[in-house]
Amino acid sequence: MTPTYNFAFLDENTKRMLRRALLKAVAIPGYQVPFGSREMPLPYGWGTGGIQVTAALLGPDDVLKVIDQGADDTTNAVNIRRFFARTAGVATTERTAEASVIQTRHRIPETPLREDQILVFQVPEPEPLRTLEPREAETRTMHALADYGLMHVKLYEDIAQYGHIATSYDYPVLVDGRFLTSPSPIPKFDNPKLDHSPALMLFGAGREKRLYAIPPYTQVESLAFDDHPFEIQRWEHQCALCGSGESYLDEVVVDDCGTRMFVCSDTDYCGEHLAEAVA
Amino acid sequence: MLAAFADPVFDSQRNFRELLQAMARPAVPRELPNLPPAPVPIIPAAMAILMTLCDATTAVWLQQPNDETTCHLRFHAGTRLVDDPRDADFALITDPESMPPLDTFAQGEMRYPDRSASLIVQVPDLRAHAGAYFAGPGIRQTAQLAIDGLPQRFWQQRAAIATRLPLGIDLFFVAAQRMVALPRTTRLLES
Amino acid sequence: MYVAVKGGEQAIARSLELLAEARRGDPATAELELAQIRQQLRLGVARVMQEGSLYDEELAALAIRQAAGDMLEAIFLLRAYRTTLPRFGYTEALDTTRMRVRRRISGTFKDVPGGQVLGPTYDYTQRLLEFGPTVPIATVEAEVPLAEAMPRVLDLLDAEALIERIDAGADPEPVDLTRKPLMFPANRATRLQNLSRGDEGFLLGMAYSTQRGYAESHPFAGEIRMGEVDVLVCPEELGFAIEIGSITLTECQMINQFHGGNGVPPQFTRGYGLGMGESERKAMSMALVDRALRCDELGEPAYAPAQNQEFVLSHSDNVEASGFVQHLKLPHYVDFQAELSLLRTLSAQHVRHASDRHQAVPEQALEESQA
Repeated sequence: MTPTYNFAFLDENTKRMLRRALLKAVAIPGYQVPFGSREMPLPYGWGTGGIQVTAALLGPDDVLKVIDQGADDTTNAVNIRRFFARTAGVATTERTAEASVIQTRHRIPETPLREDQILVFQVPEPEPLRTLEPREAETRTMHALADYGLMHVKLYEDIAQYGHIATSYDYPVLVDGRFLTSPSPIPKFDNPKLDHSPALMLFGAGREKRLYAIPPYTQVESLAFDDHPFEIQRWEHQCALCGSGESYLDEVVVDDCGTRMFVCSDTDYCGEHLAEAVA
Repeated sequence: MLAAFADPVFDSQRNFRELLQAMARPAVPRELPNLPPAPVPIIPAAMAILMTLCDATTAVWLQQPNDETTCHLRFHAGTRLVDDPRDADFALITDPESMPPLDTFAQGEMRYPDRSASLIVQVPDLRAHAGAYFAGPGIRQTAQLAIDGLPQRFWQQRAAIATRLPLGIDLFFVAAQRMVALPRTTRLLES
Repeated sequence: MYVAVKGGEQAIARSLELLAEARRGDPATAELELAQIRQQLRLGVARVMQEGSLYDEELAALAIRQAAGDMLEAIFLLRAYRTTLPRFGYTEALDTTRMRVRRRISGTFKDVPGGQVLGPTYDYTQRLLEFGPTVPIATVEAEVPLAEAMPRVLDLLDAEALIERIDAGADPEPVDLTRKPLMFPANRATRLQNLSRGDEGFLLGMAYSTQRGYAESHPFAGEIRMGEVDVLVCPEELGFAIEIGSITLTECQMINQFHGGNGVPPQFTRGYGLGMGESERKAMSMALVDRALRCDELGEPAYAPAQNQEFVLSHSDNVEASGFVQHLKLPHYVDFQAELSLLRTLSAQHVRHASDRHQAVPEQALEESQA
């Protein structure tokens, strides 16, 4: 642990500010709480929101897992894990089941989460309406009025043009029937895991200075139309390593001729599944 | 003067995690692990919440302020104490029978519903698996909870405020070492 | 057989070693001393302090050395350190009329009380590379010392009631943008704070656009002054202000023509810029952008990017911008895979539709010819 910095880098005033904002975020599911995001020693866009949330949560009894694209060994996940090992001295793990706090970028683990676990998402753009309306003053008003016509029109135009909704990740959800919310850029494959999750889910956007939350056992509905229900991605392949037919797959180019193979994006799940298959 | 947390960093952290879980899983009582001493009429569990969450940037309203409590809070947490309950980020209710109407406190603005008060209410007792049924985000089906010592009008006032969601007030109830949260979204079910 | 990529931890460790080696360069060459950076690269130090929001020459020099001269990286280093510093209090408002001026020019009057003072400036250097070693120069003491307090040029216009009057203390207490999130609409104090931390290059481009017709600005450089200003604090237990030191500042007051509107009579209006150290380009750019952002208050038509406060203030910060642009280096396998499978579906659909149409055309043509 680096002794010149406070536990988990942030000073106690900042942690209190984050903790108050997190409690409000949980109390108003899916609503984006503005917070005094601090300048972190990692770049904006690289998980500063998630890092601040994790820093406000962590204590000496925690076991931290950090994943990026579902994998523990991607460089940015390694770097964030290293940061907390250095500034908080917390135990870290690559096993989903062993973690008390999981910080993630772009995935929800395949292994079902439990009530005693907290999932922290890194969020680049917390505003689901931002690509449709760049002005914050306008999007705030739309949320205040629960006026999400703009998003419905966008999805409907997709259907008119392509025959189905052309959004494959960061697929907008309605939380507790009230706030339109960005699930962060997870593939829509992961959206069903948000609905009535046993684990608390916290979202941090450092650059945009917003926090939000989806409490456990809360209705999270992926937007759809009666005649165009929500669907998740499916593969014709199974994981080439563990044989899973249920997990989200990464496509890997393995030679110069463009030969592809498909493997689990969740490396912990893949390893566990393989070990079970061998046993 | 009384002391505050023995270990400010970790005592607050452990308390916060319980508060967070309490807010995420409403109507289920939990124990606060680290209680600091508190001057009368504040009980240690209420003081633990104030010490965990409040500092010079938060406005705190005390229902029954006295020299010792205000001194204690100013010295240990540097909290800004306010006279008008409408200005409070956090309000401490030490006598629920005589508390001001709930809609006295800030319920947020339509664009910023988070700019609302959090209330800490000291009650004689709170028990799970008894009393009224609650539902809402964070509650799997229903949760049963009895909170003693609240006037009947409290629940009527809370129901009236609930029509203004997402505006609202978030509540923590404390009794001895126990604490339970009722965020604005938690509904009291008619029996 | 394929195995999932492992070894991120090791790769990072090796990369850090390579970076350290590259940063140091040939060990036979002496390492840069912080005093050398502070004294000989002082304008770089000023920029890092200004955009890093921390007046500390030594730390800024350290950051520049650690960042191998990448100013944005140095600013980032300083900001990340600044986050962890405790706050002891706030200073009294700085009084720049009491600046010990080293440079002071006005583009609006040939001569002004206190005089035009060029001071150390690159303006008239002719930009010829000096190939030889720097020759030490003995400066000559002026015959008449500069006035201790120089009146502001804009105050001369104020006497004639030709320029808008902005009373000291009329602005609300500014919020601290490093503690509170930026909210819209932002008042002028908040906007100025954002601009003062903003990227010099971004502000320069925005300011330039206002001169080229993207916002009607008609600016004049009313006054630019640079020098030392005392910093005062008023500790609660003392009850009176004490001086804790002085800092170098550059201040720019632009004068802009205004034909009147929104209940305001025709008069000159002001744009304001302030920067730490010698930071004239930044202060001037800031003043032009500040003025452009006052369009709503003055009832001016707002159509240009520099007048759009959400656009300007949300994109001015180079630590935010640099982080987000560069985050594209991070893996996006998962989202890319999602897009890949979507595109394959759309593309297959396109081919199917095209072939359907192809088959449909002859039949239709046949029907038409029969009709």
